[in-house]
Amino acid sequence: MSTLKTWQELPHGGVILEAGSAAKYETGSWRTWKPITHREHCIHCLACWEYCPEDAIVLEDGQDPSGGTRKFVKEVNYFHCKGCGLCVRECPVNKEGKVQALGFVRDEV
Amino acid sequence: MSNLTAGKPKIVPITGAGACAQAMRQINPDVVAAFPITPSTQIVEDFSAFVANGQVDTEFVTVESEHSAMSACIGASAAGGRVMTATSSAGMAYMWELLYVAASMRQPVLMSLVNRALTGPINIHCDHSDSMGARDAGWIQLYSETNQEAYDNLVMAARIAEHPDVRLPLMVCQDGFIISHSIQTMQLEDDKAVKAFVGPHLPYHSILDTAKPVTWGALDLQDYYIEHKRGQEQGMRNALRVIQEVSDDFAKTFGRQYNLFEDYRLDDAEIVLVAINSVAGEIKEVIDELRTKGEKVGLLKIRSFRPFPYEQIGQALSNAKIITVLDRSASFGAHGPLFTEISTAVYNYASNRPLLMGHTFGLGGRELTLRHIEHVISESRICLDKGEVGNRQGMWLNVRGDKS
Repeated sequence: MSTLKTWQELPHGGVILEAGSAAKYETGSWRTWKPITHREHCIHCLACWEYCPEDAIVLEDGQDPSGGTRKFVKEVNYFHCKGCGLCVRECPVNKEGKVQALGFVRDEV
Repeated sequence: MSNLTAGKPKIVPITGAGACAQAMRQINPDVVAAFPITPSTQIVEDFSAFVANGQVDTEFVTVESEHSAMSACIGASAAGGRVMTATSSAGMAYMWELLYVAASMRQPVLMSLVNRALTGPINIHCDHSDSMGARDAGWIQLYSETNQEAYDNLVMAARIAEHPDVRLPLMVCQDGFIISHSIQTMQLEDDKAVKAFVGPHLPYHSILDTAKPVTWGALDLQDYYIEHKRGQEQGMRNALRVIQEVSDDFAKTFGRQYNLFEDYRLDDAEIVLVAINSVAGEIKEVIDELRTKGEKVGLLKIRSFRPFPYEQIGQALSNAKIITVLDRSASFGAHGPLFTEISTAVYNYASNRPLLMGHTFGLGGRELTLRHIEHVISESRICLDKGEVGNRQGMWLNVRGDKS
Protein backbone atom coordinates (compact mmCIF):
# COMPACT_ATOMS: atom_id res chain seq x y z
CA MET A 1 0.00 0.00 0.00
CA SER A 2 1.16 3.51 -0.79
CA THR A 3 2.08 5.92 1.99
CA LEU A 4 -0.99 7.14 3.86
CA LYS A 5 -1.73 10.86 3.60
CA THR A 6 -2.12 13.37 6.42
CA TRP A 7 -5.40 15.22 6.84
CA GLN A 8 -3.84 18.36 5.36
CA GLU A 9 -3.00 16.50 2.14
CA LEU A 10 -6.53 15.25 1.55
CA PRO A 11 -9.06 17.10 -0.62
CA HIS A 12 -12.16 18.31 1.22
CA GLY A 13 -15.06 15.99 1.85
CA GLY A 14 -13.31 12.75 0.89
CA VAL A 15 -13.69 13.46 -2.83
CA ILE A 16 -11.60 11.07 -4.92
CA LEU A 17 -9.98 13.00 -7.73
CA GLU A 18 -8.51 10.10 -9.70
CA ALA A 19 -10.80 7.94 -11.82
CA GLY A 20 -10.28 4.20 -11.43
CA SER A 21 -8.15 4.56 -8.31
CA ALA A 22 -9.98 1.67 -6.63
CA ALA A 23 -7.55 -0.62 -8.52
CA LYS A 24 -4.81 0.59 -6.16
CA TYR A 25 -6.69 -0.52 -3.07
CA GLU A 26 -5.68 -3.88 -1.63
CA THR A 27 -8.94 -5.68 -0.94
CA GLY A 28 -6.99 -8.96 -0.90
CA SER A 29 -6.14 -8.41 2.76
CA TRP A 30 -9.80 -9.07 3.67
CA ARG A 31 -9.55 -12.70 2.52
CA THR A 32 -9.84 -15.78 4.77
CA TRP A 33 -10.48 -18.32 1.98
CA LYS A 34 -8.92 -18.18 -1.47
CA PRO A 35 -9.74 -19.69 -4.84
CA ILE A 36 -6.98 -21.60 -6.62
CA THR A 37 -7.01 -22.50 -10.29
CA HIS A 38 -6.56 -26.12 -11.48
CA ARG A 39 -5.80 -25.36 -15.09
CA GLU A 40 -5.73 -29.03 -16.07
CA HIS A 41 -9.52 -29.15 -15.48
CA CYS A 42 -10.44 -25.64 -16.58
CA ILE A 43 -12.56 -25.38 -19.73
CA HIS A 44 -11.91 -21.62 -19.97
CA CYS A 45 -15.59 -20.75 -20.24
CA LEU A 46 -14.79 -17.47 -18.38
CA ALA A 47 -17.84 -17.76 -16.09
CA CYS A 48 -15.55 -17.02 -13.10
CA TRP A 49 -14.23 -13.90 -14.84
CA GLU A 50 -17.76 -12.73 -15.56
CA TYR A 51 -19.03 -13.27 -12.00
CA CYS A 52 -16.01 -11.91 -10.11
CA PRO A 53 -17.09 -8.62 -8.40
CA GLU A 54 -13.47 -7.45 -8.09
CA ASP A 55 -12.24 -8.24 -11.61
CA ALA A 56 -9.64 -10.47 -9.96
CA ILE A 57 -9.63 -13.28 -12.55
CA VAL A 58 -6.68 -12.60 -14.84
CA LEU A 59 -6.98 -13.68 -18.46
CA GLU A 60 -4.41 -14.29 -21.17
CA ASP A 61 -4.54 -14.73 -24.94
CA GLY A 62 -4.30 -18.29 -26.20
CA GLN A 63 -4.88 -20.59 -29.15
CA ASP A 64 -8.22 -22.27 -29.57
CA PRO A 65 -8.07 -25.94 -30.89
CA SER A 66 -9.59 -24.68 -34.16
CA GLY A 67 -6.71 -22.25 -34.58
CA GLY A 68 -8.42 -19.00 -33.51
CA THR A 69 -7.21 -16.62 -30.80
CA ARG A 70 -9.29 -16.25 -27.66
CA LYS A 71 -9.03 -15.47 -23.94
CA PHE A 72 -8.05 -18.11 -21.42
CA VAL A 73 -8.11 -18.05 -17.63
CA LYS A 74 -4.58 -17.42 -16.38
CA GLU A 75 -4.66 -16.92 -12.64
CA VAL A 76 -6.28 -15.14 -9.69
CA ASN A 77 -5.08 -11.67 -8.74
CA TYR A 78 -4.72 -12.02 -4.98
CA PHE A 79 -4.17 -8.28 -4.49
CA HIS A 80 -7.85 -7.75 -5.29
CA CYS A 81 -9.48 -11.13 -4.56
CA LYS A 82 -11.54 -10.79 -1.37
CA GLY A 83 -12.18 -14.54 -1.20
CA CYS A 84 -15.94 -14.31 -1.66
CA GLY A 85 -15.99 -17.68 -3.48
CA LEU A 86 -18.46 -16.64 -6.21
CA CYS A 87 -16.11 -17.97 -8.91
CA VAL A 88 -15.84 -21.32 -7.14
CA ARG A 89 -19.61 -21.59 -6.86
CA GLU A 90 -20.35 -20.55 -10.44
CA CYS A 91 -17.70 -22.76 -12.09
CA PRO A 92 -19.58 -25.28 -14.34
CA VAL A 93 -16.79 -27.86 -13.95
CA ASN A 94 -17.16 -27.67 -10.16
CA LYS A 95 -20.94 -27.95 -10.53
CA GLU A 96 -20.59 -31.29 -12.32
CA GLY A 97 -18.87 -32.53 -9.20
CA LYS A 98 -16.28 -34.91 -10.73
CA VAL A 99 -13.24 -32.65 -10.61
CA GLN A 100 -12.56 -29.06 -9.54
CA ALA A 101 -11.33 -26.36 -11.90
CA LEU A 102 -11.38 -23.89 -9.03
CA GLY A 103 -10.52 -25.03 -5.54
CA PHE A 104 -11.31 -23.05 -2.39
CA VAL A 105 -8.78 -23.34 0.43
CA ARG A 106 -8.06 -21.64 3.74
CA ASP A 107 -5.74 -18.71 3.14
CA GLU A 108 -2.53 -18.52 5.16
CA VAL A 109 -2.47 -15.60 7.53
CA MET B 1 -16.43 43.29 -2.73
CA SER B 2 -17.27 46.96 -2.58
CA ASN B 3 -20.31 49.08 -2.08
CA LEU B 4 -20.02 50.60 -5.56
CA THR B 5 -23.09 48.79 -6.81
CA ALA B 6 -25.15 49.44 -3.69
CA GLY B 7 -28.53 50.80 -4.68
CA LYS B 8 -31.11 52.31 -2.40
CA PRO B 9 -32.27 50.04 0.39
CA LYS B 10 -35.94 49.93 1.31
CA ILE B 11 -37.50 50.02 4.74
CA VAL B 12 -40.20 47.36 4.62
CA PRO B 13 -42.64 45.79 7.07
CA ILE B 14 -42.10 42.06 6.70
CA THR B 15 -42.18 38.80 8.65
CA GLY B 16 -38.98 36.94 9.48
CA ALA B 17 -39.92 34.16 7.11
CA GLY B 18 -40.77 36.66 4.38
CA ALA B 19 -37.43 38.39 4.92
CA CYS B 20 -35.55 35.11 4.45
CA ALA B 21 -37.52 34.37 1.28
CA GLN B 22 -36.47 37.80 0.01
CA ALA B 23 -32.83 37.02 0.80
CA MET B 24 -33.18 33.77 -1.14
CA ARG B 25 -34.68 35.64 -4.09
CA GLN B 26 -31.77 38.06 -4.09
CA ILE B 27 -29.21 35.26 -3.78
CA ASN B 28 -30.96 33.45 -6.67
CA PRO B 29 -29.54 29.99 -5.85
CA ASP B 30 -29.12 27.36 -8.56
CA VAL B 31 -31.23 24.79 -6.73
CA VAL B 32 -33.75 24.88 -3.89
CA ALA B 33 -35.17 21.58 -2.63
CA ALA B 34 -37.60 21.89 0.25
CA PHE B 35 -40.63 20.38 1.88
CA PRO B 36 -42.87 22.86 3.71
CA ILE B 37 -43.27 22.52 7.47
CA THR B 38 -44.68 24.98 9.99
CA PRO B 39 -43.40 27.58 10.85
CA SER B 40 -40.88 27.68 7.98
CA THR B 41 -43.63 27.23 5.37
CA GLN B 42 -43.83 30.86 4.33
CA ILE B 43 -40.20 30.82 3.21
CA VAL B 44 -40.83 27.98 0.76
CA GLU B 45 -44.26 29.36 -0.20
CA ASP B 46 -42.93 32.83 -1.02
CA PHE B 47 -39.93 31.39 -2.81
CA SER B 48 -42.03 29.08 -4.99
CA ALA B 49 -43.99 32.18 -6.05
CA PHE B 50 -40.69 33.85 -7.08
CA VAL B 51 -39.91 30.74 -9.14
CA ALA B 52 -43.37 30.73 -10.75
CA ASN B 53 -43.14 34.46 -11.49
CA GLY B 54 -39.75 34.07 -13.12
CA GLN B 55 -38.09 36.36 -10.56
CA VAL B 56 -35.37 33.76 -9.99
CA ASP B 57 -33.94 31.11 -12.29
CA THR B 58 -33.64 28.53 -9.57
CA GLU B 59 -34.39 24.86 -10.20
CA PHE B 60 -37.04 24.31 -7.54
CA VAL B 61 -37.35 20.66 -6.54
CA THR B 62 -40.60 19.72 -4.81
CA VAL B 63 -39.70 16.59 -2.88
CA GLU B 64 -41.86 14.19 -0.88
CA SER B 65 -39.96 14.53 2.40
CA GLU B 66 -37.20 16.42 4.18
CA HIS B 67 -34.93 13.37 3.90
CA SER B 68 -35.22 13.74 0.14
CA ALA B 69 -34.94 17.53 0.33
CA MET B 70 -31.53 17.36 1.97
CA SER B 71 -30.46 14.49 -0.30
CA ALA B 72 -31.36 16.59 -3.34
CA CYS B 73 -29.50 19.56 -1.86
CA ILE B 74 -26.34 17.49 -1.33
CA GLY B 75 -26.49 16.07 -4.85
CA ALA B 76 -27.08 19.48 -6.39
CA SER B 77 -24.26 20.95 -4.35
CA ALA B 78 -21.85 18.18 -5.38
CA ALA B 79 -22.93 18.89 -8.95
CA GLY B 80 -21.56 22.39 -8.46
CA GLY B 81 -24.63 24.47 -7.64
CA ARG B 82 -25.37 27.01 -4.94
CA VAL B 83 -28.11 25.31 -2.97
CA MET B 84 -30.61 26.42 -0.34
CA THR B 85 -33.44 24.96 1.69
CA ALA B 86 -35.68 25.85 4.62
CA THR B 87 -37.18 23.75 7.37
CA SER B 88 -38.21 23.46 11.03
CA SER B 89 -38.40 20.99 13.91
CA ALA B 90 -39.41 17.46 12.86
CA GLY B 91 -38.55 18.42 9.29
CA MET B 92 -34.92 18.92 10.19
CA ALA B 93 -35.03 15.88 12.44
CA TYR B 94 -36.03 13.90 9.36
CA MET B 95 -32.94 15.30 7.60
CA TRP B 96 -30.72 14.13 10.44
CA GLU B 97 -28.75 11.47 8.58
CA LEU B 98 -28.17 13.81 5.65
CA LEU B 99 -27.17 16.77 7.81
CA TYR B 100 -24.05 14.78 8.67
CA VAL B 101 -23.53 13.77 5.04
CA ALA B 102 -23.71 17.39 3.86
CA ALA B 103 -21.13 18.46 6.44
CA SER B 104 -18.84 15.48 5.91
CA MET B 105 -18.91 15.92 2.13
CA ARG B 106 -18.10 19.60 2.76
CA GLN B 107 -21.07 20.77 0.69
CA PRO B 108 -21.91 24.40 1.53
CA VAL B 109 -25.68 23.88 1.57
CA LEU B 110 -27.53 26.87 3.08
CA MET B 111 -30.54 26.41 5.32
CA SER B 112 -33.01 28.87 6.75
CA LEU B 113 -34.09 27.12 9.93
CA VAL B 114 -37.12 28.37 11.80
CA ASN B 115 -36.73 27.05 15.34
CA ARG B 116 -39.64 24.98 16.59
CA ALA B 117 -40.09 22.41 19.35
CA LEU B 118 -39.60 18.75 18.53
CA THR B 119 -42.65 16.55 18.78
CA GLY B 120 -43.72 14.78 21.96
CA PRO B 121 -46.36 16.10 22.63
CA ILE B 122 -47.02 17.68 19.25
CA ASN B 123 -46.28 21.38 19.35
CA ILE B 124 -45.67 23.88 16.56
CA HIS B 125 -44.22 26.73 18.62
CA CYS B 126 -40.75 27.98 19.32
CA ASP B 127 -37.91 26.40 21.17
CA HIS B 128 -34.40 25.45 20.13
CA SER B 129 -34.51 21.69 20.55
CA ASP B 130 -34.24 21.19 16.76
CA SER B 131 -31.06 23.14 16.09
CA MET B 132 -29.47 22.33 19.46
CA GLY B 133 -29.98 18.64 18.77
CA ALA B 134 -28.18 19.11 15.45
CA ARG B 135 -25.27 20.99 16.95
CA ASP B 136 -22.83 18.12 16.47
CA ALA B 137 -23.80 17.49 12.84
CA GLY B 138 -21.05 19.75 11.52
CA TRP B 139 -23.17 22.68 10.34
CA ILE B 140 -22.27 26.27 11.05
CA GLN B 141 -25.11 27.74 13.13
CA LEU B 142 -25.84 31.47 13.13
CA TYR B 143 -28.69 32.71 15.33
CA SER B 144 -30.86 35.77 14.76
CA GLU B 145 -32.69 37.98 17.25
CA THR B 146 -34.80 39.88 14.73
CA ASN B 147 -36.13 39.75 11.16
CA GLN B 148 -33.28 42.02 10.14
CA GLU B 149 -30.69 39.68 11.64
CA ALA B 150 -32.24 36.62 10.02
CA TYR B 151 -32.11 38.40 6.65
CA ASP B 152 -28.59 39.75 7.14
CA ASN B 153 -27.25 36.37 8.32
CA LEU B 154 -28.70 34.71 5.23
CA VAL B 155 -27.13 37.33 2.95
CA MET B 156 -23.75 36.61 4.58
CA ALA B 157 -24.26 32.83 4.64
CA ALA B 158 -23.04 31.88 1.17
CA ARG B 159 -19.71 33.67 1.48
CA ILE B 160 -19.01 32.06 4.84
CA ALA B 161 -20.09 28.55 3.88
CA GLU B 162 -18.41 28.53 0.46
CA HIS B 163 -15.11 30.06 1.58
CA PRO B 164 -12.31 27.65 0.52
CA ASP B 165 -10.99 27.53 4.10
CA VAL B 166 -14.43 26.61 5.44
CA ARG B 167 -16.59 24.79 2.86
CA LEU B 168 -19.28 23.65 5.29
CA PRO B 169 -23.07 23.80 5.33
CA LEU B 170 -24.62 26.64 7.28
CA MET B 171 -27.98 27.14 8.97
CA VAL B 172 -29.41 30.52 9.88
CA CYS B 173 -31.77 30.12 12.83
CA GLN B 174 -34.68 32.35 13.85
CA ASP B 175 -37.46 31.82 16.39
CA GLY B 176 -40.62 30.18 15.08
CA PHE B 177 -43.70 32.46 15.02
CA ILE B 178 -42.09 35.03 17.36
CA ILE B 179 -39.86 36.14 14.47
CA SER B 180 -40.95 34.06 11.48
CA HIS B 181 -44.58 35.27 11.65
CA SER B 182 -44.23 38.69 13.27
CA ILE B 183 -44.06 41.73 11.05
CA GLN B 184 -41.19 44.05 11.89
CA THR B 185 -39.85 46.91 9.84
CA MET B 186 -36.41 46.22 8.52
CA GLN B 187 -34.00 47.34 5.86
CA LEU B 188 -34.20 45.30 2.67
CA GLU B 189 -31.05 45.92 0.67
CA ASP B 190 -30.98 46.55 -3.04
CA ASP B 191 -31.06 43.41 -5.21
CA LYS B 192 -27.91 44.29 -7.13
CA ALA B 193 -26.02 45.22 -3.98
CA VAL B 194 -26.86 41.87 -2.41
CA LYS B 195 -25.91 40.04 -5.59
CA ALA B 196 -22.57 41.85 -5.72
CA PHE B 197 -21.92 41.15 -2.04
CA VAL B 198 -22.71 37.45 -2.30
CA GLY B 199 -20.69 37.00 -5.49
CA PRO B 200 -20.53 34.03 -7.85
CA HIS B 201 -20.53 30.44 -6.67
CA LEU B 202 -17.33 28.55 -7.44
CA PRO B 203 -17.97 24.81 -7.74
CA TYR B 204 -15.55 22.42 -6.03
CA HIS B 205 -14.91 19.27 -8.09
CA SER B 206 -18.35 19.17 -9.68
CA ILE B 207 -19.64 15.70 -10.50
CA LEU B 208 -20.97 17.16 -13.76
CA ASP B 209 -17.47 18.03 -14.94
CA THR B 210 -17.00 15.02 -17.23
CA ALA B 211 -13.55 16.19 -18.29
CA LYS B 212 -12.35 15.56 -14.73
CA PRO B 213 -14.39 12.65 -13.32
CA VAL B 214 -14.39 12.39 -9.52
CA THR B 215 -16.02 10.20 -6.90
CA TRP B 216 -18.08 11.75 -4.08
CA GLY B 217 -19.31 9.82 -1.08
CA ALA B 218 -16.88 6.89 -1.17
CA LEU B 219 -16.28 4.47 1.70
CA ASP B 220 -13.77 5.41 4.38
CA LEU B 221 -12.38 2.87 6.82
CA GLN B 222 -10.06 2.96 9.82
CA ASP B 223 -7.18 4.19 7.67
CA TYR B 224 -8.77 7.49 6.50
CA TYR B 225 -12.07 8.30 8.23
CA ILE B 226 -10.53 10.19 11.13
CA GLU B 227 -8.25 12.22 8.82
CA HIS B 228 -11.29 13.38 6.88
CA LYS B 229 -13.04 14.27 10.15
CA ARG B 230 -9.99 16.22 11.27
CA GLY B 231 -10.12 18.24 8.06
CA GLN B 232 -13.80 18.91 8.67
CA GLU B 233 -12.99 20.17 12.17
CA GLN B 234 -10.42 22.53 10.66
CA GLY B 235 -13.12 24.00 8.43
CA MET B 236 -15.11 24.83 11.57
CA ARG B 237 -12.09 26.35 13.31
CA ASN B 238 -11.38 28.49 10.22
CA ALA B 239 -15.04 29.53 10.16
CA LEU B 240 -14.52 31.64 13.32
CA ARG B 241 -12.18 33.90 11.34
CA VAL B 242 -14.20 33.82 8.12
CA ILE B 243 -17.51 34.67 9.84
CA GLN B 244 -15.86 37.77 11.30
CA GLU B 245 -14.24 38.75 7.98
CA VAL B 246 -17.49 38.44 6.05
CA SER B 247 -19.35 40.28 8.83
CA ASP B 248 -16.83 43.13 8.70
CA ASP B 249 -17.22 43.37 4.93
CA PHE B 250 -21.00 43.30 5.37
CA ALA B 251 -20.68 46.23 7.79
CA LYS B 252 -18.60 48.16 5.25
CA THR B 253 -21.14 47.44 2.51
CA PHE B 254 -24.45 47.74 4.33
CA GLY B 255 -23.58 49.53 7.57
CA ARG B 256 -24.69 46.93 10.14
CA GLN B 257 -21.87 45.43 12.20
CA TYR B 258 -22.13 41.88 13.48
CA ASN B 259 -19.64 39.86 15.48
CA LEU B 260 -19.48 36.27 16.70
CA PHE B 261 -21.64 37.39 19.62
CA GLU B 262 -23.19 40.65 20.76
CA ASP B 263 -22.17 42.27 24.03
CA TYR B 264 -24.90 44.50 25.36
CA ARG B 265 -23.92 46.84 28.23
CA LEU B 266 -21.38 44.24 29.25
CA ASP B 267 -18.29 46.29 30.15
CA ASP B 268 -19.03 46.96 33.82
CA ALA B 269 -21.81 44.40 34.24
CA GLU B 270 -21.69 42.30 37.41
CA ILE B 271 -24.74 40.26 36.44
CA VAL B 272 -24.62 38.92 32.89
CA LEU B 273 -27.40 37.07 31.14
CA VAL B 274 -26.53 34.85 28.19
CA ALA B 275 -29.20 34.03 25.65
CA ILE B 276 -29.89 33.16 22.04
CA ASN B 277 -32.36 34.56 19.51
CA SER B 278 -35.49 36.64 20.07
CA VAL B 279 -35.56 36.62 23.88
CA ALA B 280 -32.48 38.87 23.74
CA GLY B 281 -34.83 41.71 22.74
CA GLU B 282 -36.84 41.43 25.95
CA ILE B 283 -33.68 41.05 28.01
CA LYS B 284 -32.27 44.29 26.56
CA GLU B 285 -35.50 46.07 27.50
CA VAL B 286 -35.20 44.89 31.11
CA ILE B 287 -31.49 45.72 31.24
CA ASP B 288 -32.17 49.30 30.10
CA GLU B 289 -34.83 49.64 32.79
CA LEU B 290 -32.65 48.20 35.56
CA ARG B 291 -29.64 50.25 34.48
CA THR B 292 -31.63 53.42 35.23
CA LYS B 293 -31.94 52.07 38.78
CA GLY B 294 -28.19 51.48 38.99
CA GLU B 295 -28.17 47.68 38.63
CA LYS B 296 -25.02 46.65 36.76
CA VAL B 297 -26.51 44.11 34.40
CA GLY B 298 -25.63 43.16 30.83
CA LEU B 299 -26.32 40.61 28.11
CA LEU B 300 -24.17 38.39 25.96
CA LYS B 301 -26.16 37.24 22.93
CA ILE B 302 -24.84 34.31 20.94
CA ARG B 303 -24.71 34.67 17.16
CA SER B 304 -22.30 31.89 16.22
CA PHE B 305 -23.09 28.76 18.24
CA ARG B 306 -21.15 26.49 15.85
CA PRO B 307 -18.31 27.21 15.74
CA PHE B 308 -18.42 28.34 19.37
CA PRO B 309 -16.03 31.22 20.11
CA TYR B 310 -14.87 29.97 23.52
CA GLU B 311 -11.86 32.22 23.86
CA GLN B 312 -13.56 35.47 22.86
CA ILE B 313 -16.61 34.74 25.01
CA GLY B 314 -14.49 33.74 28.00
CA GLN B 315 -12.61 37.03 27.73
CA ALA B 316 -15.82 39.03 27.27
CA LEU B 317 -17.18 37.49 30.47
CA SER B 318 -14.05 38.21 32.49
CA ASN B 319 -15.59 41.09 34.44
CA ALA B 320 -18.85 39.31 35.27
CA LYS B 321 -19.53 38.24 38.84
CA ILE B 322 -22.48 36.01 38.08
CA ILE B 323 -23.47 34.62 34.70
CA THR B 324 -27.01 33.36 34.21
CA VAL B 325 -27.54 31.34 31.05
CA LEU B 326 -31.01 30.93 29.57
CA ASP B 327 -31.42 27.78 27.49
CA ARG B 328 -34.47 27.46 25.26
CA SER B 329 -33.96 23.70 24.95
CA ALA B 330 -33.45 20.89 27.43
CA SER B 331 -30.82 18.20 27.48
CA PHE B 332 -32.66 15.84 29.79
CA GLY B 333 -30.58 14.81 32.76
CA ALA B 334 -27.94 17.41 31.96
CA HIS B 335 -27.51 21.16 31.88
CA GLY B 336 -28.69 23.03 28.80
CA PRO B 337 -26.39 23.07 25.76
CA LEU B 338 -25.70 26.80 25.99
CA PHE B 339 -24.92 26.56 29.71
CA THR B 340 -22.32 23.84 29.19
CA GLU B 341 -20.60 25.84 26.44
CA ILE B 342 -20.54 29.01 28.54
CA SER B 343 -19.14 27.05 31.49
CA THR B 344 -16.36 25.72 29.26
CA ALA B 345 -15.59 29.18 27.91
CA VAL B 346 -15.49 30.76 31.37
CA TYR B 347 -13.48 27.97 33.00
CA ASN B 348 -10.82 28.02 30.30
CA TYR B 349 -10.64 31.63 29.18
CA ALA B 350 -12.13 34.04 31.74
CA SER B 351 -9.61 35.70 34.04
CA ASN B 352 -11.90 35.41 37.06
CA ARG B 353 -14.21 32.74 38.47
CA PRO B 354 -17.76 34.06 38.32
CA LEU B 355 -20.77 32.18 39.65
CA LEU B 356 -22.54 30.26 36.92
CA MET B 357 -26.24 29.55 36.81
CA GLY B 358 -28.30 27.93 34.08
CA HIS B 359 -32.07 27.93 33.57
CA THR B 360 -34.43 26.35 31.06
CA PHE B 361 -37.30 28.37 29.62
CA GLY B 362 -39.71 28.76 26.76
CA LEU B 363 -40.15 25.15 25.64
CA GLY B 364 -42.97 24.74 23.13
CA GLY B 365 -43.41 28.49 22.85
CA ARG B 366 -44.04 29.23 26.56
CA GLU B 367 -43.59 32.95 26.97
CA LEU B 368 -40.89 34.61 29.04
CA THR B 369 -42.19 38.04 29.98
CA LEU B 370 -40.29 41.10 31.12
CA ARG B 371 -41.42 40.25 34.66
CA HIS B 372 -39.82 36.80 34.43
CA ILE B 373 -36.56 38.30 33.22
CA GLU B 374 -36.59 40.84 36.08
CA HIS B 375 -37.12 37.90 38.41
CA VAL B 376 -34.14 36.01 36.92
CA ILE B 377 -31.95 39.05 37.42
CA SER B 378 -33.11 39.63 41.01
CA GLU B 379 -32.47 35.93 41.80
CA SER B 380 -29.02 36.32 40.25
CA ARG B 381 -28.44 39.32 42.53
CA ILE B 382 -29.44 37.25 45.59
CA CYS B 383 -27.01 34.48 44.58
CA LEU B 384 -24.27 37.02 44.02
CA ASP B 385 -24.81 38.61 47.45
CA LYS B 386 -24.78 35.18 49.10
CA GLY B 387 -21.76 34.12 47.06
CA GLU B 388 -23.36 30.86 45.98
CA VAL B 389 -25.92 29.59 43.51
CA GLY B 390 -27.25 26.84 45.77
CA ASN B 391 -30.60 25.30 44.89
CA ARG B 392 -31.38 27.98 42.31
CA GLN B 393 -29.25 26.10 39.80
CA GLY B 394 -31.13 24.52 36.91
CA MET B 395 -34.52 26.18 37.42
CA TRP B 396 -37.27 25.83 34.81
CA LEU B 397 -38.79 29.28 34.40
CA ASN B 398 -42.49 30.04 34.17
CA VAL B 399 -43.51 26.43 34.78
CA ARG B 400 -46.58 25.73 36.92
CA GLY B 401 -45.62 23.69 39.96
CA ASP B 402 -42.12 25.14 40.23
CA LYS B 403 -41.36 28.20 42.30
CA SER B 404 -39.48 30.48 39.96
